[in-house]
Amino acid sequence: MDENRHHRLRARTLKGLQLFALFIAMCFICIPGLWVVLNSFRPTVEIMAKPPVWIPQDLNLDHYRAMFGGVGEGGVPVLRYFTNSLIISVTSTVIAILVGMAGGYAFARYQFKGKAAIFIGLMLTRAVPGVALSLPLFIVMARTGLIDTHIGLILVYVSLNVPFTIWLIDGFFRQVPVELAEAAEIDGCTRWQAFWKVEFPVARAGVASAGIFAFLTSWNEYALASQLTRSTFSKTMPVGLRDFTSEFTINWGGMCALAVLMIIPALILTFLVQKHLIAGLTFGGVKG
Amino acid sequence: MRNLKLTALLGATALAAATGAASAAEFDGVTLQAKLIGGQQYEALYARIGEWEAATGAEVEIISKKNHFELDKEFKSDLAAGTLGWCVGSNHSSFASQYPNLYTDLNPYLSEDFVAEYVPSNLSASKIGDALVMLPRAQFDVSVLYYLKSLYEDADNQAAYKAETGRDLAPPDTWEEYKAQAIFFTDAPNFYGTQYAGKDEAIVGRFYEMIIAEGGQLFNEDWSPAFDSEAGQRALAWFVDLYQAGAVPPGTTSYLWDDLGQGFASGTIALNLDWPGWAGFFNGEDTSKAAGDVGVIVQPQGSAGIRTGWSGHHGFSVTESCENKEAAASLVAWLTNEDSQKLESAGGSLPTRTAVWDHVLETSQSDPFRSEAIAAFQAGSEHAFPAPQTPYWIEATNLIYPELQAAILGDKSIEEALGDASEAVDEMMQENGVY
Amino acid sequence: MTRFRLPAWFVLLLPAIIVLAAVVLIPLLLSLYSSFTSYRLTRPDSLYNWIGTFNYEKAAKSAHFWAAFGRTLLLLTIALNLEMLLGLGLALLVNQVTYGQRALRTIMMFPMMFSPLLVGFQFKFIFNDNVGLVNNALQSLGLSNTAIPWLVDGQLAFFSILVAEMWSSTSVFAILILAGLFAVPRDPIEAAKVDGCTPWQSFRHITLPYIMPFIYIALAIRSLDVARAYDIVQIMTNGGPARRTELIWTMIGRTGYVDAKMGYANAMGYISIFLAIFFTIYFFRKLNAARAELGMGG
Repeated sequence: MDENRHHRLRARTLKGLQLFALFIAMCFICIPGLWVVLNSFRPTVEIMAKPPVWIPQDLNLDHYRAMFGGVGEGGVPVLRYFTNSLIISVTSTVIAILVGMAGGYAFARYQFKGKAAIFIGLMLTRAVPGVALSLPLFIVMARTGLIDTHIGLILVYVSLNVPFTIWLIDGFFRQVPVELAEAAEIDGCTRWQAFWKVEFPVARAGVASAGIFAFLTSWNEYALASQLTRSTFSKTMPVGLRDFTSEFTINWGGMCALAVLMIIPALILTFLVQKHLIAGLTFGGVKG
Repeated sequence: MRNLKLTALLGATALAAATGAASAAEFDGVTLQAKLIGGQQYEALYARIGEWEAATGAEVEIISKKNHFELDKEFKSDLAAGTLGWCVGSNHSSFASQYPNLYTDLNPYLSEDFVAEYVPSNLSASKIGDALVMLPRAQFDVSVLYYLKSLYEDADNQAAYKAETGRDLAPPDTWEEYKAQAIFFTDAPNFYGTQYAGKDEAIVGRFYEMIIAEGGQLFNEDWSPAFDSEAGQRALAWFVDLYQAGAVPPGTTSYLWDDLGQGFASGTIALNLDWPGWAGFFNGEDTSKAAGDVGVIVQPQGSAGIRTGWSGHHGFSVTESCENKEAAASLVAWLTNEDSQKLESAGGSLPTRTAVWDHVLETSQSDPFRSEAIAAFQAGSEHAFPAPQTPYWIEATNLIYPELQAAILGDKSIEEALGDASEAVDEMMQENGVY
Repeated sequence: MTRFRLPAWFVLLLPAIIVLAAVVLIPLLLSLYSSFTSYRLTRPDSLYNWIGTFNYEKAAKSAHFWAAFGRTLLLLTIALNLEMLLGLGLALLVNQVTYGQRALRTIMMFPMMFSPLLVGFQFKFIFNDNVGLVNNALQSLGLSNTAIPWLVDGQLAFFSILVAEMWSSTSVFAILILAGLFAVPRDPIEAAKVDGCTPWQSFRHITLPYIMPFIYIALAIRSLDVARAYDIVQIMTNGGPARRTELIWTMIGRTGYVDAKMGYANAMGYISIFLAIFFTIYFFRKLNAARAELGMGG
């Protein structure tokens, strides 16, 4: 009896400790992020105050108002940046998924010479640091007239995301038994139909998880975008953050306001697809 | 309404005088692409581009707006890729010598009289050899001394300083006195005697002016390094001593101009060598805790009796590859003409035209703080000298500043740091075939 | 009539190969070539000035370069290991929770929404010695009465960068390891409990082998992606002060764009690419070994 109670007490303490640890961990994750959100509503003098103002005295939408304001009022072409970011991220994600699906299918379903080497080779293209790639890429893009265009940046982001997409989707197709597709073909489907009707649905979760990673990478990329975009015609939101730094000063509150606009869509999207994300990663990883 | 028309008319006349051409719509159908510096204080001038467009029939398309550090990167990429279809670029006297082939000589497009209206020292800092590669706008920068007046009026401070040093407490006229007072005023971590820019080109610029004030040189005639000298050691010792005495904030080696400006405006710094652009900010009720307590005097002198005076100015340039240089030169002249400079200097920046200096002095008389500041800057600008005019200036600063920091933070002795920096600069100059 | 047909696998891989060749391979060849020249951005004709292996020799002889190389290696090793451990801990904690897990998982991924550039600015302000969040908090709580120079002191600056980097990337580990935990079969754990195994024993011998592949996947992905830390470090310290936080990437960025010495920068870039390749291949090997252990190789 006594031992049982002792045991239960220990289990409860353990549970409590676990929750406490989880709480602390979540604080560490959230505070630096929420601090950015909070600063977007505070006047700059209060953010920079010394001694610090802990309880916000003056919350307002000034930074947002200024951001959407005209030239000379601190206005920044937010809507252009947002549309550019959206067009570039979504298109490049979709293309990366299509290209990645084709590639992943090839690795999963066909045997050929040098398969492992090609696979590693594709992965390694991702290992090139952006700072080392940016200038030669700029020169190539300038020669082909792709500087400061959506297409140029989309192309770059597709190539950034294709390796990881291939990897994840490859793992998914592998767990679909070959017999399943073959059976469908016997039933009169073409190979193409068999793919869409039988193999693709199983791999959907993998596509979702690859998609979210690809989207977040494109959405947040800065090093290459800062080189390859020149004007509001193609500037994305991370590059737009730089508009808040001028010659010698930085408008931190304003930068936070734009950051919040960047975070919200990403957060919503992640929340919506994260169920698939976990499932996708689970199978993709083990079977790969 | 009538006023506006008058301005436009005056502007058009000035323009015609500038370019020596008379017809109003002489650049019909021309489109000029421009890369300009962005930021609140620089924007007001760009409103005048519209007037120029109306007067000439040309069109200006601003394709890039960034600060000069980012523009510098972009220009270099453009040179590398040959994307030089644009015509007008924002330029800075400290950066200009890096791209000797990018910008064209403006002399052929301007009348001699027009050119003569600029302050001669600014004009000579706008040249590479004999080529006038930029026209200076009303953004001339030289640093003077800002200080908190109340500290000097305080009787306890006066008595304590007299007892400690035997000298009267007054705003410093030498860098030695400045150092002593900075240490005297310090009450860390809430109040510091002074602060300085601690990284990148900024600290090398400060070191450069200090070495000249100490009677030395950064470079010899042939561009070999000359700073590993007695004067160089005295100059660097000033930075090191202040840091080791704790008279500057411990983070000062990571500070750039914005940190410094915010620092002085927070009212926790006694003495601050800083640029003209901050004057209004420091004395503004809603931007600064030091408002009403700010004094401005000419910058102190070093042991050689020379005042510091590292200076620079912004300007506009026309690319060598521009298809319509006449139109571009006309725009550049317009943006730096008398009216443009009057407009811009009304915002607190310093002009680069003789007539506009007089105008600024006259209009500031009603405001005691502003006239004190303008007087200090006018005195300061007499001692101004530009950054070394070598294409390798920025590259040299990148070799020098980590060594200066190493000495300041105590990683190296002053002699070691200067020796290492000198060796690195020497190697770089030789590698580039300078000598 | 025999028509030559490309093998199907090749056709399927072709789009990926074309796009990667265009965007990565061609520029890389260009930069490989330029690393053997005295290429300066401001003098385009210097691209044709062949100087052999001069740039590589210069890098190899430069003490600053090797110091930065060593520091990068150190940062990567510490960051990847700590991120892995913290990510594992976080995933285990979240996995225990039954109610509200969806929200928790989203919060867990919160830092992934932050552009590295933003993370740099954010932590630069958090660790500012004068008005920074950390110093303000320490001073207000009475734990410190000095302005701690987080971004100046050598060790502290390294620590601050590490914190920023870990904050932004631990999520990737956590989410992948959490996915691994979902894949662990329940039966062996139940059986182990009946056999009287302690929770630690069943974790060590059952759960861990199952999630090892996920850990290595996360490590491989992160080692491919580490150069993202460039944005963070460039904003926070840009390698300073006195080169105390200089990494290969900040050095390349400054040499290439500010000093305009692209040839030399590209030579250093190539050495850093080899570093990334080494890490990636190492983790791939480990991944395959871990998969083989589970009988899933292939």
